[in-house]
Parts: sequence; structure tokens; C-alpha cells
Amino acid sequence: MSEQEPIIVLENVCKYFGEFKALSDVNLTVQKGERIVVCGPSGSGKSTMIRCINRLEEHDSGRIVVGGKELTSEVKDIDAVRREVGMVFQSFNLFPHLKVLGNLTLALKLVREMPKPEARETAMRYLERVHIPEQADKYPSQLSGGQQQRVAIARALCMNPEVMLFDEPTSALDPEMISEVLDVMVELAEEGMTMICVTHEMGFARSVANNIVFMDHGEIVEANPPEEFFDNPKHERTKLFLSQIIGH
Amino acid sequence: MNFDIGLVFESIPKMLVGLGLTLELLILSSFIGLVLAVITLLMRISGRWFLVAPAVTYIYIFRGTPILVQIFVIYFGFPQFEFVRESVFWPFLREPFWCCILALSLNAGAYVSEILRGGMLGVDKGILEAASALGISKTQSFIYITSPIAIRLSLPAYSNDIISMTKATALASTVTLLDMTGVARTIVAQTFAPYEIFLSVAIIYMIMAWMIQKGFGMAEKRMSRYLKPAAG
Amino acid sequence: MSELVGWADDYFWGAMVVLRVFAVSLVLAVVIGLIGSAMKLSGSRVAQTIANAYTVVFRGTPELLVLLIVYFGAAVTLTAIGQSFDASVKFIDIPPFWAGAFAIALIVGAYMTETFRGAFLGVDPGHVEAARALGLSKFQTFVYVRIPQMWRLALPNFGNHMLSLMKDTALISVIGVEEIVFVAKIATPVTLKPFTMYFIVALIYLCITTVITLAVMAMEKYANKHLVSSR
Repeated sequence: MSEQEPIIVLENVCKYFGEFKALSDVNLTVQKGERIVVCGPSGSGKSTMIRCINRLEEHDSGRIVVGGKELTSEVKDIDAVRREVGMVFQSFNLFPHLKVLGNLTLALKLVREMPKPEARETAMRYLERVHIPEQADKYPSQLSGGQQQRVAIARALCMNPEVMLFDEPTSALDPEMISEVLDVMVELAEEGMTMICVTHEMGFARSVANNIVFMDHGEIVEANPPEEFFDNPKHERTKLFLSQIIGH
Repeated sequence: MNFDIGLVFESIPKMLVGLGLTLELLILSSFIGLVLAVITLLMRISGRWFLVAPAVTYIYIFRGTPILVQIFVIYFGFPQFEFVRESVFWPFLREPFWCCILALSLNAGAYVSEILRGGMLGVDKGILEAASALGISKTQSFIYITSPIAIRLSLPAYSNDIISMTKATALASTVTLLDMTGVARTIVAQTFAPYEIFLSVAIIYMIMAWMIQKGFGMAEKRMSRYLKPAAG
Repeated sequence: MSELVGWADDYFWGAMVVLRVFAVSLVLAVVIGLIGSAMKLSGSRVAQTIANAYTVVFRGTPELLVLLIVYFGAAVTLTAIGQSFDASVKFIDIPPFWAGAFAIALIVGAYMTETFRGAFLGVDPGHVEAARALGLSKFQTFVYVRIPQMWRLALPNFGNHMLSLMKDTALISVIGVEEIVFVAKIATPVTLKPFTMYFIVALIYLCITTVITLAVMAMEKYANKHLVSSR
């Protein structure tokens, strides 16, 4: 393991929604190539934390550094950061009025200023990578949930990000479609993509993650490699959570 | 009392003489109104108080007062001011036609900008977040994502507004203009047959309303082809 | 400025006339709306056709035209009826106040019909079933279950119709009702300040519509108070 700059650093990060403290002194370091899974009960701050990383939420105190750039309120910084950080949402959020190909090429044309033919080529490449090149000319509403989410992953990958953030990517899917999305994510991990993934899919976590972070009430309670985490949880709250989700 | 149905059919062609003016009023005001609406909307959402305040005030005044009064203020009221009578606009502002266009356009601008704003608010926040996450700037997002979706969402309300505008053009007859209603009133004054004459002109207005509704229905269908097909 | 003060009285009474027309029209329009929506939802082909024809006609015809038809038409009809009884009758008409109020009620009633119809359809059928299962009669269910629920759903659009109605009252000046537009008309040749005179009219309308808007917002708050907001 080389001594390089971590790609993401969160230092003593706090975030409030009015009176409610959503994030409480969160400290996290992510190295290039690491795969982090974040889990915890709802309301624990997991989504808030990763949304702070690409500044969809603004943290109130502490430091967040992404790819060497500290996140502040400077516009230039934010756009530059977001180009390097890809995000996949629970509700896909595909652009309904554009075809699948259009969804992928829009940012390429507007942000990377790629000419049309090149954008098209890049988009098709990533569509192949998520195994649905034949859907290029369809509208999102014509695709199944699993296909839509894969398009969403391809859309984020098109921008060639350094890090991929996943915010409960399979929570809105019917059970039979979950594996097609997880398979794509596993392939990404095997190719060395740095990933932070908020999910309840513990099987995925066990097989893919380098580190599992458990959050509760806005704090990171425990962070350990999978073997340690599942077989030897240290905190009571972690044990309670694990017993609740891995019971049935 | 007899109802002279023959008179109804005789009168319809006479009414069509006024149709030209009615259409002029409608099309010109709708077009200018749309331009005003877009400008007002951009001012309204700009976030800068010196743009938002005038926009909000303008909308408030023109949605809170009757069109008839707006026409009267412009047509009868403006000549009170010397600076108006001496301005380069006077040749226009002394004409009832242009006074009506001004009033109708300002009215349309206020209503349509609120309709467009409603459409904007209907755009799913998640989609805008996805655009942000991809690094798409706020301006680009507004042009390529918000606008197409907002326009489609605004179509039903906009078509209703156009129909309202069509009916509002009838008010031009109160300032001597001979649109369809103006012509009708003249004929009624001569023939004392209000039912027959007014009925025939009402029929023409209704046909216009129906055509506008159909037209927009088709436009809406075209714009909605990417939406989820209704569950079987 | 002093000459304006002299007209304050006239404006005030004119505004009273406007408010009276508004009140009368509103009540009539609501009644028409309830009847119209009931007819549309009744299942009877005849009733539905009549109601549909009514809404199409009165939503597609300019308000000014409806006003003119009602006012002049009523005069012609009443005169003809009068003459059939007594040939010496010259001219009967109905007071423009009532012609105006009725015409506006017919127009806004058509919009109310549509709003109420949509709102009735939005009432949870489960609630109606529960009421009937408890033994309430059809009429009781209508009054105590359907109308309160429908009302809440109809409120936003109803507020808009009230505002339209308010603004439509300006048209009655065209058939000679002596309200505020009329005051401006007769005051202009005296004060020679047409802008000021008509501007005051606009201002009065603006005040009234503002009050209506605030009232509707308050009503919406009240109607929805039993709904727990999530957070």
C-alpha cells in the first residue's frame, strides 16, 4: 500500500438541518482504489455524509477534501469537484425527456465540451459496459428499474470520475432486479474504481468492501474490514443493527 | 316571440368581418405576452431583489385587476399626461387598437409567467440534483433540463390562458373597436335581435376555443411521448 | 387633490355596489356549480348532456357577450311577453344589477361545475361506503361526508374562481350599473384627470382581490389543519 494522498478526507465534519444534528464529528479517509460500504439505520446520516462529498449538501463545520481540493463555497471548486465524483441515486433520476443515449451524452457535451460523434462513441462504450447497448434509443420510461439504474451508472461513468458515490442504489428496485445492478458494481470494483456505497446489501458488502462503516445518529460508530465487522462487532449498537438486518 | 334562425345563419358571415381584428388582437397580444412572460419569469427567479420586486409587483397588479379596467386606464387615462402626448409613442397610444394590445399583452405576460413558474416548480428535484452531480452548471441545467420539462407541464394551463385571451379580446368592443363583438353590438343596435346575433358570434368564439383546445391537445401529446405509457 | 375628495363618497357607494354584485353572483354561482356537478356525476345521460352543453357554452363564450345576451335578451323576452298580455306595453327590462349578477353567476358557475366535479371525484369512496354502512342516508352522506371533503379539495381552484368573479364584476359598467367604473366615467369630464380616476378604480379592485386572496389562504389553512404534516 503506497503512501499517497487519500482521495477523500472528512475531518470533524458536522451538519445541521435546523436544530437537528445530522452529522456529528465525522472523520473518514478514503484511499484511491478503496471500496467503502456505509450502513446504518435510517436517519443515521449516511446519505447526508456522501451528499456532502459532492456538495449536494453543505457541511457546517469541519473539513472535506476531495481529490486534493477543499470544499468551500467557491463555485469553480464545486463544478470541478463534481466532474471527478460520480453519483448514483436511489431513484435513478434519469432525464425523462432525453433518450438513454441523450442522458449519457448531455454532460459530455455541456461539461467536457466533447463533440457529438465522440460523445456518442463514449456513451455507447459505457452502455456496453453495463450490458445494455441495445437500449440506447429508448426513453427511460420504457426501461425496467434495473435497466434504468444501470443507465444511471453508465451516465456517471461517462464522465470518467475518480470516485463513484452510490446512495442506496438498489433500495428502489424490485428484488429480481437487484442482482443485475450489483453485478455491475462488483465489476466496477474489480476494475479498481474507488467507491463509497450506502447500502443495505450485506452480501455485496462482505464480498466487495475493503472497509465497512457503521453510522448511527450522525456518528461513525465503527469502521472495520468485513471479516472484523461481521464476525467481531465491537460496539453494542453495531451488534444490535447486525442482528436486526441479518436475522431473516 | 319568435326566434329567427335564418337571421343567425345570415349574420355569421357578417361576424367574420370582425374576425380579422379579433385574431390580430389575439395573436399579437399572445406573442408579446409570451415574451414579457419569459422576461418576467427570469426576473422573478433571479434571486436579486431589484429584479424580483418589480416582477412580483407587476404580476400582482395585473392579476389583481380586471382587464376592462386595465384597458380603460391605458386608453382613457394615459392621455392625461403631457409626457405621453408628446412622446414618440403617442401615435400608438392614442389608438384604441394599440391600447388594447398593450393591456392584453401586459395581462398575458403576468398570467403566463406564473404558469411557466408553476411548470418549473413541477420539475422533479432529483433530476436537477443528478445534473448538478454530473457537473452541469445551473444555467445549462435550466436551459437543457428544466425548460423542456417545464414547458410540457405548462401546456394545459397555457392553453386555458390562450382561450381566456380569446374571450378577453371581446373587451376591445368597449373602446370602439370593431372586432367580432363590436360588429355584433352594432348589428344588434340596428336589428334589435340580441339572441340571434349574439348567439351567432358566440358560436364563432366557441369554435375558436375548441380549435385552440384541440391544437394544444395535439402539442401536449407530442411532447409527452417520452412519458410512461399508462399501466395496462 | 381637493376635487378627488369630493368623489370619495361616490367611489365608496360604487364599491358597495360591486361587493353586492359579487356576493349575489357568488352564491348563485356556487348553487349552479353544485347542481351542475351533481348532474354531471349523476349517471343520467340527459342530465350529463345538458350539463356538458352548459359548461362548454359558458366557458367558451366571452364574458362580455354573455352579459350582453342576458341583459338585452331578457329585455326583449320580457317585453315580448308583456306585449302579448297588454299591447300598450312599451318596454320591460330587468334591472342591470340582476342581469349582471345572473350573467356572471352563469359564467363562473360553469367553472365551478368543473371544479366541484373534480373535487367530488377526489373524495375517498371508502369514506362514503363507511357512512352508508353506518346507516346514513344518501342525502346525509352527501351533506356530512362528501361536501366537507370535496370542499377541501376544491378550495384552491375555488379561490381562483372567486377572484375571476370579482374581476368580472367590472363588466357590469358596460350595461349601465352605477358602480366604480361608472363613477370614473362621469368624474373624468369634471376633474379632467382620467388616469387618476381610473387608477383609483384599479386600486379599489386590487384591495378587494387582495382581501379575497388572503381570505382563501386562511381558509385553506383551516381546511387542512386536521392533516398532520410529515417531517
